[in-house]
Order: sequence, then structure tokens, then C-alpha cells
Amino acid sequence: MHDFLYQRPTQLPEASQWAKEHVDYKLLAGGMSLIPSLKMRLSQPAGLIDLSAIDALKGVRIEGDELIIKAMTPHAEVAIDKNVRQGIRALCELAAGIGDPLVRNRGTIGGSLANADPAACYPSAVLALNATIKTNQREIAADQFFLGLFETALHPGEIITEIRFPKPKAAAYWKFRQPASRFSLVGVFVAQTNTGVRVAITGAADTVFRHTEAEQRLNVQFHPSALKGLFMSEKNMNSDIHASAQYRAHCIDVITERAVAMALNLPPQKES
Amino acid sequence: MSASIQSAKIGDSVIRKEDHRLVTGAGCFSDDVNLPGQAYSVMLRSPHAHAKVLGIHTKNALKCPGVISILTGQDLITDKIKAIPHRPFSPHPADIMLTNSDGSEMFMAPHYPLVVDKVRHVGEAVAMVIAESLAAAKDGAEAIEVDYEILPSVTDTVSAAKKNAPRVFDTAPSNVCLDAETGDREKTEQAFAKAAKIVSFTTWIPRITGVPLEPRAAVGEYTDNGRHYTLHAGTSGAWRTQMDIAIMLGVHEDHVRVITKDVGGHFGTRGMLYGEFLLVVWAARRVGRPVKWTCDRQEAFVSDYQARDLAVEAELALDEKGHFLAIRGSNISNAGGHTTNFSPLRKGVEIMSTIYRMPAAFFRARGVVSNTAPTRPYRSSGRPEVIYVMERLIDLAALACGIDRVTLRRINLLQNHEMPYTNPFGMVFSDGDYHQSMEKALRMADWDGFEQRRQEAKTRGQCRGIGIANYVDTASGVPRERAEMTLRADGTVEVIIGTVSTGQGHETSFAQLVTDWLGVPFDQVKILTGDTQFVKFGGGTHSGRGLRLASIVIHSACQTIIKKGKRIAALLLKCEPSVIEFKEGVFYQKGELGQESQGGPVSLTQVAEASMGLTDLPEELQGPLRAIGDETVTVAEFPYGCQVVEVEIDPQLGSLKIINYTAVDDVGRAVNPAIIHGQVHGGIAQGVGQALMEQAHYDPVSGQLLSGSFMDYAMPRASDFPFFNAQYIEIPSKTHPLGMRPAGEGGTAPALGVMINAICHALQDYGVKHVEMPATSERIWQAIQQAQATKTS
Repeated sequence: MHDFLYQRPTQLPEASQWAKEHVDYKLLAGGMSLIPSLKMRLSQPAGLIDLSAIDALKGVRIEGDELIIKAMTPHAEVAIDKNVRQGIRALCELAAGIGDPLVRNRGTIGGSLANADPAACYPSAVLALNATIKTNQREIAADQFFLGLFETALHPGEIITEIRFPKPKAAAYWKFRQPASRFSLVGVFVAQTNTGVRVAITGAADTVFRHTEAEQRLNVQFHPSALKGLFMSEKNMNSDIHASAQYRAHCIDVITERAVAMALNLPPQKES
Repeated sequence: MSASIQSAKIGDSVIRKEDHRLVTGAGCFSDDVNLPGQAYSVMLRSPHAHAKVLGIHTKNALKCPGVISILTGQDLITDKIKAIPHRPFSPHPADIMLTNSDGSEMFMAPHYPLVVDKVRHVGEAVAMVIAESLAAAKDGAEAIEVDYEILPSVTDTVSAAKKNAPRVFDTAPSNVCLDAETGDREKTEQAFAKAAKIVSFTTWIPRITGVPLEPRAAVGEYTDNGRHYTLHAGTSGAWRTQMDIAIMLGVHEDHVRVITKDVGGHFGTRGMLYGEFLLVVWAARRVGRPVKWTCDRQEAFVSDYQARDLAVEAELALDEKGHFLAIRGSNISNAGGHTTNFSPLRKGVEIMSTIYRMPAAFFRARGVVSNTAPTRPYRSSGRPEVIYVMERLIDLAALACGIDRVTLRRINLLQNHEMPYTNPFGMVFSDGDYHQSMEKALRMADWDGFEQRRQEAKTRGQCRGIGIANYVDTASGVPRERAEMTLRADGTVEVIIGTVSTGQGHETSFAQLVTDWLGVPFDQVKILTGDTQFVKFGGGTHSGRGLRLASIVIHSACQTIIKKGKRIAALLLKCEPSVIEFKEGVFYQKGELGQESQGGPVSLTQVAEASMGLTDLPEELQGPLRAIGDETVTVAEFPYGCQVVEVEIDPQLGSLKIINYTAVDDVGRAVNPAIIHGQVHGGIAQGVGQALMEQAHYDPVSGQLLSGSFMDYAMPRASDFPFFNAQYIEIPSKTHPLGMRPAGEGGTAPALGVMINAICHALQDYGVKHVEMPATSERIWQAIQQAQATKTS
């Protein structure tokens, strides 16, 4: 890696100050994507602001009908947290399926969202659960957060502090893994929320997106059968050595049904 | 600990001696070697698949802080460094020869460690940067400017063989370097003419790479005093590396020392000298200090030798009762960007009919070059490819003829009484009970109960399939091996052997041999290897030759030790050597073991002490008790066995789960059962990896490697497998003096065929005939879609 300066503040205001004054610095969360890209010399920031010593950015709590996960909480903790398990069990399962134990012990929810990898798991949960991303500057609704390939609404130097998840009536995440990276080839997060059903797809396009046609049908009837005959268009789907656009679109059809069945605790469906 | 009381003879699952060292970080792998004052190097690699190098501009790079020197292909030429001495075939009398059918010489071209004229694949080394630190060397590499004239490229095997394909070597008439014919054309044509049924199969066995846990690394040293070069690097055998480095430097072997300590995986792709190994010792001489190079993982994907990559067209002729009459076809092997190795082509085509009775055969065998990384033999070189082809042909023939696939195998599988059997390519299979291994595998896998399991899976919406494949593995390789054994007065036995362990557990299994044959405690046997300072010869680890040849030379050395020991014991016991017997580490007079006889028994250690201390011994018995086993074994071994696999496919997604994996291997005589099972399990994982997910994926237009990291190169994980149901049988080999058969490649050899057979069986009801490798979820799903579309149209 190239040389860079390194800061490890212990207080959020201090981190905000550094970030504000040094726009050519990068924020370091768990580093599961940033550190490899530094090592491969694909990224050359002037400095890093390591957020790992800020205790105020870690932890999970319940506030009324909301589950709040602070930005620097690692996946391994989300996976076993009692509040998460009681509040949104699907999030535990999602977190437990990210990467390997090393990644889960270092990687954080805030890092994952800020990076916005098109195949990451968390963005689908945030979008489907209609979560709010709170930063050191403002609150951003999930629908406004993900803008494109590795692109979010975050301003330079803006630090995610916590994610507020309204508790859904039912939710499930179904992940179909890419054989090499074991990231999502297609991942579907389905949530029946107080404001309606939301379906978010990751891994299939250049960014996470909502499957609005499926949502409309599921708002009429929240059951896998409501999706019969619905076909995702292969337009805008990724095509690479692991899967064609056609196959990804097909997987979305199958997996969305399965995710709904999972959210309803229905037994596995037989092929008709 | 119980380790010292645990029996450690042949046949015992002794806990591996080396494991504690290796799993506690106390091993010494290549990158663990650091020498005082060492400089660091990186290779600038080609981003293009095929391009003329018009100029390399190093002025700015040399100005980078810490950069010491930049070396290019021109410097190699100036210093008269010779090309890598590739041997396209390893010489073994049991293998057939492949030569151009028009009588011309096969095409070979020099392969230099740094490009001298044009780059022939993405990742080929163009310049070597030597600097004070790794970071400085990388800065230097980034600052080098190379003028490339980009040329059209070809990566695909069949395309590369075509006349109008972009030419990898301007001096060659085409990319086809070897165009041979083997078998009997006329006899085969006659057999096909009278066939009741002909099935044909066209396929491509994808290109993969070895992916050892430990990437390559090397440190080179040079001392002016004595003009001596030393290479520290993980190799498959120090002696052969020493020889190759000496050839390239143009010096006598005595001026080169190679030290190999722990090696984290070999699999064949580490089996030949890598150019970087020469570069570090040469650079050490140029800059006057040790030079280190460590390959990172992405670099390994583009620059390691790769493997497989065989295009096959095959036809099988049968009579009306299902007897095989003949096989014919064409194999094209892709050697990549240099004429490195054509051995997999030969090792495959010579057993195209595997272990089935085949009256006639004829194949065309071509080796081509292309704009891809060079290839080498990889675990069970050449055989998994052709076993896959044969086993697919049988399943296709079973469907076409309406004969049960197991019955078809029973009809055609060679019988005991037909052995030794000369196959239609001229290979002689010495012995083997092929029916026993197959029937055992069928029983272990409960083949007969499959239908019930299929029905149950159906109620869950899953398509269950079962597949079978038989294999034979021709173990040949370098025929000579050598062991030097010394019995110390403290009872320690030192064995110097040329074959290096690259993970197989030689320190344990070789020690078990000595413990069994000399009766010395297991802990007192020391296996010394991997340093040309004391290793005089060793053929390396490949082609199932580690234990197969080590056992022969160690046995021979043990026999010499015992013979010498008897003479000393006779002097101590004051009797004739002819009445001395040896058992469990003691010499005694015939009939006196266990009796309180005067002067006996005498232990091996006492004999060793006497050889050191008694001055009245004959001169040839004085000094350390020493023996050399040095043998050239010109017969090949033919380990064989059978695998049965059961899979479930989710037809909506095409995803697959392996439910049962059964393996039977005849190992002749098991030395360490736990090590054998480890070999089989690892071998299966490598074979299944190829069948389901692995591929070195080159873009057909740009020639870029698209699977250049673990994000895109799919490796099998433990969670992809069930617990293996693996057992071995022990029918002593008739051609190995101790009855042993190699066990390192049997896991892989049938795995490709058995996996694809199981998948196709699961999809039979849809009308799917075949799924190409790697059989990804999408491929399986597409096969179902296509079969259904064909049905309805």
C-alpha cells in the first residue's frame, strides 16, 4: 500500500472534525473492503480516520417500535444480539451469513452501508425494512440513500452513526450465493412493514433496488402465491462470469417467493 | 502423551509428526525465510494477452527512492542466461510416446523468465524491480513505462488449433506444436463399421489452477567467494531445481544449492522450475545482496502454471449386447503461452479406454499453444479428463442402448483373469480386481435402495440423482529415487531422501516404514530432505511416486543395515552371521529369542555403538552404520477404484447439494490409514471443485483473466461436502515389491466423471443429456430449460 496518515479518535466530535477538515482522508470502519483495496494500491487516500476506538458508535438498543444498531457494531454481534433476535430475527440471520468469522468480527453495518457494494447483504435489509440512516449531520431515509454502484447520498466526511429499523410484522432474507466470493448472486429481503410490503434485491444489479411489482402484489396478499406469473425483466440485471442477466432475473422470481414463504414460516414449497 | 506408546508400524493411523509444528506456526515456509541485508523484488507483469514489447523505459522508475535495480529480458540475454529447461514429457518406459504423425519434430520454443520479444499471456513477467523495501519495489514497478504493440490473441483451445488463429510463436507454422496419432486406425474403423450402436460426445475439460495454500516465494543468495548461488524456495524436490538453475546459469551443479523446507501445497502446478526462482539468484549476483520475492494471491492467479484444459471429441462403438468394440476421437491439450509441458495429453490419451475391455482404439492427440498461462500436470494429470469422457460415454451409451448403466459397466470392466492387460494404446495394466472395488462401492452407497430415496426427495421438490465412475491411475514419473540411512549410536535413524513433502506427511509415513522394518522407536526416526547440501538425488513429489518409490529405497536401505548388523552381532555373540536372526530391533541366535542365552540378544543400538566403538571389527563395518537405497523403478503402478455420488438438485434454481459421496480405492497396502483418507478427501474436493465451480476464465476477445482473485475463482469449501464415505481395499500390487499402490490421486481421478454422471442422472426425467463443467447452478438450470424447450417444440 501507499503511505497514508492515520488518526484514531475516541470521540465522535473529534472524528467529525478530522473528517470535515480533511476531505482527502477516508473513514475506516471494519476495513473489510478498504484495507484490501489499499493493499492492492487501488485506493490512495491521504489519510485514514479509524472509527474503531469510538465506543459511542457501538451497540444495539430498542427504542419503542424501533431497533437501533449503531454504525460500528460488527456483524458477529448483530448475529447473536438478543434485541435484534427479538426485534428483527431476519437481521440476525443476515448478519450470521456475511463472509467468514474473520469478516464478521471486523466488518460493521455502517461500513457496509457506506461502501454500498452491489452484492452486500445489509443494503437490502435497510431498504426493505425502510430504515433510517442517521449520520453526524442528518437523517437519511433508506429510499434516498443508495444512489448507484458504490455510491450513496453521504457527503464527503459524513459519518454514519446509527441505523434505525422500524420493527416489521414479518421479514425474511433469502441469500443465493455466488460460488467464489459467496456474496449474494441474488439476495432478496422481504418485509411486511407498517407502511406496506417492501422487497429489496441485492447482488443482481449495480445497486440494491426495490422490486415494486412484487410489492404491489404482496400488498394485496402477503403470500408466495400472489407472485405467480410475475417475471422480473432481465433489463438492468448484471451479467458476468457467474451468472447471466436472464438467470439473475429468474432467481429473483424464485427467491422472492421463497423469502415470502420464509417470512410466513411456510414449509418449503414443492415444485408444481 | 500417548504418542510415544502408540504403535507406529505400517498400517497404523499414527498422528502426523509434522502437524504440531505446522499448526502452531512453527513451520518454515518460503516467505518465512529472511536473510540479513536482503533486497525485495516485484515483477512488472503484462496487462496484455499478446503484444510485442517495443521498449521498456526505466529512467523514472530508477529515480524512485529505494529502487536499486531494474532487470529485463535483455539483461538475461546479455548475461547469457538460458531458457527454462522444460521437459515436455517426463521419461518413463511404461508410458507411450507421442510424436508428430508426419514425422517432423514437435515444436518447442525457449521460455525465458522475463519476456525477450513479446508477451504471450496476461501476467507474463516483463521486468523485475529490486528495491530496499517491497513498497519501494512496487513504486518502481508503477513508474516503468512499457511500449506495447498489442496483437490479436487466442485463448480457447479449439480456436487456437485452427490455421487462421493468431500465432503465439512467429517461428511456428501454426499453434499446433504436437500432432500425433495413437492406436490402430484400420482396426478401429473396421470395428465402427460393424457396430450396432455408436455414441458420441464432445466436451471441454475446463482450465483450472492449482491454488496452493502457500503462494510461491523465494530468496536468492550469491557469494563471490566460490561463486556460489543459494535458492531458498518451496519446490517439489530440491535436487531437480538445483539442476535446472545450474543449467540456466551455465554453471556446475556444485555452485548451486537449493533449500526447500515446508511447502504448502504442490498438486503438480508447483512441479517445474518457476522463472522467478532463477531471477532471485541471478539478481542476487547482480546487486550483490540477497533478493527476496513473494508472490501475492492475485499474482499467483495470472502467473502460476495452470492445468487441465482439454478439448475432446470421442465416439464409442458397441455391439448389440453392449460390448465395447472400439473408441476413437481427438484430444487437444492447451499448453498455454509457452511450450512447457505436454505430459497431460499423453497421460490421458494412453488410457482413453480406462479399465474397460476395448478391442480397438484410435485417437488424434494435439498439443496447442495459446495466449494463456502455461499449463502443467495437475493432480492425476490427464487421467481425470479421460476418465470423465469414458464414464460419460458409458452413461450415454446406456441410455442409447437401453441397458442399465451398472450392467453395462459389469459387462465391459476387465476381469481378474484378463490381467495383465495390454490396452489398445499399448499400456500394460499389471493387476487389479476392478469388479471388487466397484461392487464394494455400490454396496457402500446402497445403490439398490436409491429409488426409494429418489421418491422421498421428490416429495420435497428435489431431483435426486446417483452416479458412478471407475478409475485407474497410471503412476509413473521420474523412475529413480534414493535414500541414505544412518544409524547413530544413540539409536537415532536418519533417512536422507530426495522426495520432498508438500503436505503429504512424509515425516510420519516414511518413519513408520523404518519403525516397522528396523524396530526402532518412531520418535527416533528423522527424515531429512529438501537441501541439496546433503540430498544427492531425488525425483520429486509427483505421479504417485512419494511413498511408492520411497518405500522401495528405504526398504532396501533397511535390508542393508540388517545385513551389516548381523555381521556385527555375530562378532558380539561369537557365532556365525548365518545363525543370527533379526526381529523387532534385536539380533539373536536362531531359536534363542526370549531365552536366557549367554550374550544375546543384541539390540540395534548396541550394534550401532559397536560399529562406532569396536576397533577389532572388519574395516567395512567400522564407523556409523550406514546404507544407501538407490533404485530405478521402470514399472508403473496402476491404482484403481470406484466412486458413487448422490446429489439433489433444486430444479427451480439449478442449485445442487451433494448428499452422499462414496469412494473405494485399492491402495495395495496401507501405511497410514488416516493419511490415506486425508489424501482421498482432499483429492475429491479438488475433483469436485473442477466439476462444479473452478475455472480459470479467460475473456475470449481480450484474453484477460476474469477469475483473477478469490472473488471470482470459485474454490470448494468444507461446507460444500457431506462426510465422505471412503474406504480402501488392500490387494497387494504384483509389481511393487512391497505391494503398495499410490493413494494420492485416486480421490480426484474419477471425481469429474462421477459428479457429472450424478447430475445428468438427476435431470434424466427432464430429458437432459449432458451438463458441461463447471456444472454451475445456471448451467444446470439452463440445461433443464433447453431440454424442456426441445420437448415442447
